[in-house]
Amino acid sequence: MSGLLRMYRVLFVANFQAATQYRVQSVLWLLFAVIRPVVFLAAWSAAAKAQGGSIGDFTVGDFAAYYVCLSLVSQLTMAWDAYDFEYDVRQGKLAPKLLRPLHPLHYAVVSNIVYKVMTLPALLPALVLIAWTFQAHFQTQLWQLAVFVPSIVLAMTLRFVFGWVLAALAFWTTRLHAIMHLYDRVSFIFAGQIAPLSLLPGPLAVLGYALPFAYMLWAPSEILRGGVTFDQAMLILLAQLVWLGLSWLAFVAVWRMGLREFSAVGA
Amino acid sequence: MRASGRSSRVYVTLSAAMGPPIYVRNLTKVFRVHEREEGLAATLRSLFKRTFKDVPAVQDVTFEIGEGEVVGFLGPNGAGKTTTLKMLSGLLYPTSGEVRVLGMTPSHRDRQLLSAITLVMGNRSQLVWDIPAADSMRVLQEIFQLPEDRYRQTVDELTELLDLEPLLHKPIRNLSLGERMKVEFAAALIHGPRVLFLDEPTIGLDVTMQSRIRRFVAEYNRRTGATVLLTSHYMDDVVALCKRVVVIHHGRLLYDGALTGLAERMAPYKLIRVTLRDAALNSLLEPYGEPIEREENRVTLRVSREDAPDSTARLIQDLRGQVLDLTLEDPAIEEVIDRVFNQAEELHQAESQLLAATS
Amino acid sequence: MRYLRLLAIFARTELQFAAEYRVNLLLDLFEELIIVVTSFGAVLILFTHTGVINGWTLPQMTVLLGVYYILQGANSVLFETSFERFMEHVRLGTLDFILIKPANSQFLASARHVQVAQAGQVVLGLVMIGFGIAQIGVGVGVRQGLAFVVTLACGLALVYCLLLVLSTLAFWFVRVENLLAIFWAFVDAGRFPVDVYPGWLRITLSTIVPIGIAVTVPAQAIAGRLDTLGLVSMVGGTVLVWGFAGWFWKQGLRNYSGASA
Repeated sequence: MSGLLRMYRVLFVANFQAATQYRVQSVLWLLFAVIRPVVFLAAWSAAAKAQGGSIGDFTVGDFAAYYVCLSLVSQLTMAWDAYDFEYDVRQGKLAPKLLRPLHPLHYAVVSNIVYKVMTLPALLPALVLIAWTFQAHFQTQLWQLAVFVPSIVLAMTLRFVFGWVLAALAFWTTRLHAIMHLYDRVSFIFAGQIAPLSLLPGPLAVLGYALPFAYMLWAPSEILRGGVTFDQAMLILLAQLVWLGLSWLAFVAVWRMGLREFSAVGA
Repeated sequence: MRASGRSSRVYVTLSAAMGPPIYVRNLTKVFRVHEREEGLAATLRSLFKRTFKDVPAVQDVTFEIGEGEVVGFLGPNGAGKTTTLKMLSGLLYPTSGEVRVLGMTPSHRDRQLLSAITLVMGNRSQLVWDIPAADSMRVLQEIFQLPEDRYRQTVDELTELLDLEPLLHKPIRNLSLGERMKVEFAAALIHGPRVLFLDEPTIGLDVTMQSRIRRFVAEYNRRTGATVLLTSHYMDDVVALCKRVVVIHHGRLLYDGALTGLAERMAPYKLIRVTLRDAALNSLLEPYGEPIEREENRVTLRVSREDAPDSTARLIQDLRGQVLDLTLEDPAIEEVIDRVFNQAEELHQAESQLLAATS
Repeated sequence: MRYLRLLAIFARTELQFAAEYRVNLLLDLFEELIIVVTSFGAVLILFTHTGVINGWTLPQMTVLLGVYYILQGANSVLFETSFERFMEHVRLGTLDFILIKPANSQFLASARHVQVAQAGQVVLGLVMIGFGIAQIGVGVGVRQGLAFVVTLACGLALVYCLLLVLSTLAFWFVRVENLLAIFWAFVDAGRFPVDVYPGWLRITLSTIVPIGIAVTVPAQAIAGRLDTLGLVSMVGGTVLVWGFAGWFWKQGLRNYSGASA
């Protein structure tokens, strides 16, 4: 165990040093994180104003709070490993990585966390600006902040592991990017970017509550915003746990099968 | 193979007035480099006031290259070879001095001039990675506006000269390094240029392919009378192709003339390689020259050029009966070049020190 | 004329390459369909809760989304890939091969890699516009049609100029991995009319990153919401921007070629 911790410390240091070289790029990519929520927030605000100030349970201020939280959660739960993994498999860089002492997953965890730590300080002021511009109205209570902590950790892990389940498909197909784009699009609908789940039309909302995507983005955002009751929050945590468990099992299975396929076919 | 329609017309009308295909006079290029220092204080300072350093890459270079010549451009890394080449092809503006290619100023980027020159760079390709060379060449045909019959004829001749038959229809990424270079040459010559700029064209290739490319360039020069300016690290390239070399170091022209003359002027010595019957007597060789190498039984003596005939004669006479084998050689061209550069380096260092001391 | 022929052979060459990978081609087209459909779905979801957004009705929004995808599609087909390759050339030192050709280097850098496969978005965009117009009910008059074509061309020119300016920055910022990320970050905002956005974003989308007006103005034109002043300023603004972008490109080139000042 102490060996693992030591490896992690080394990895963290190395990653931080590498990350400082990509400062400019990281800031550029943050533009995405800032503008995306504003696009839909502006649309919903205009819609709400046309409907007398609110739509469903959401006033303009509620929408603003929701999208600010969504943007924060989106940045915190980001996972891009599928793309990197496909690249490695295609370029033949996977074999050496498999020979390293640690499972590739560990390296991905570290680089993931480091990126978020480096970019968060730049994101927060932007979010404050958006919250101020749209006069965001947060209804957060203390217990919701407390519940947010496990929820965001679960969401980060869920999105990470789910991403790796898809990444492992690269063992079989060279067209993973097509699957990834489809995944992004489905996530776009069901994870809460178009609208908070409660505002989706009936059948879509039901589907959304069943699928895992909502628990990666929408769920922690709503907890942070203060838009859920205690019962709902507990149900959310449960759903996150269940989906995380399922994803983990799926990953272990797919990875094992994929490795066998990989060694059979050759690097 | 003649130059394609447009450029040959240009050539015919301008040849009288134009002068040599490559004309360079007092060419100078100075780069303004932003000085970057370490540390936070320096970084902050640089936000407000930037300090620049003038780095001379090419200094006061003058030479002319006649039609059909194949000239080698020699110099260590950073000597100014590629910079000069870029100024000749119009990719870089000179700081001062004159440069004319085919009578035109390269930096004006006349269409006529661009249609008559070509650039081949060693480890860089102009061909699109994923598509076959044939398709890239069709695009080039359109860019250079080559009539179909002329295009076909040129492609056929180049295919024959370079054995391109199986290579033209495979995507570039499926070709080996050597094959890629052959195809690169073909694409570079599709428009029948009159002036070829070759920047380290054989770098990274295996020995067989290097020799193949050399033979091709020589043959192309023979058939078309195109003027070739070649830079290379490999002495074999220069020895095989160039009767004339221009030596550049620290941006200055050190030598311009026949390759053989380079040895004579820059390394005015010869090597006597002697093998004596009894190796124990090797110490007797010392009066005849400076021993610089001992390989098994063979001793190499360095002798100045003037003394060489004499020393050789005396050696044979005095040690008659003992001499098994004797050859009189020119120093290896690499050594000559090394000497040239070392001398230039020493001079450069001395100059820099002087400048530093007096400023 | 010559440049049209060049464009044709660029298109043909890339299409030959793409046609070899038929499955990828089909996947690309399928992806374009999914993207457009889900974006339209997003608009529909919005409109299940309201009949109008900032004065725009659903049919008008449909038209706007159609313009958005026409512009996106045209951009992907015509110049986006070429600019990405261009910036790689600057990094790898192979730009010299482009500069040494006897053809306009701006054209070669912008149009070399025409991706005909991306035309799916353009087609879908046109379908959406048709659908939206039909829903509006009122026919499209000649004046409106002409205004639409003119402002659409201006919109495309504005997008082109934006990409050209960003790509020209590569001459100075050689090591920045993807300057186009700036473009990508803002392009998302083009899916809604520019007037729904807060001041700072609206101004940015109308000036420095003119994606907003590139999409909104043609949509206004065909929906009959554009007045003469708007039309004239769009055309005038485009001409100015075009001039600036071309000048900026020349400056970048001169800097690259070491021309002193």
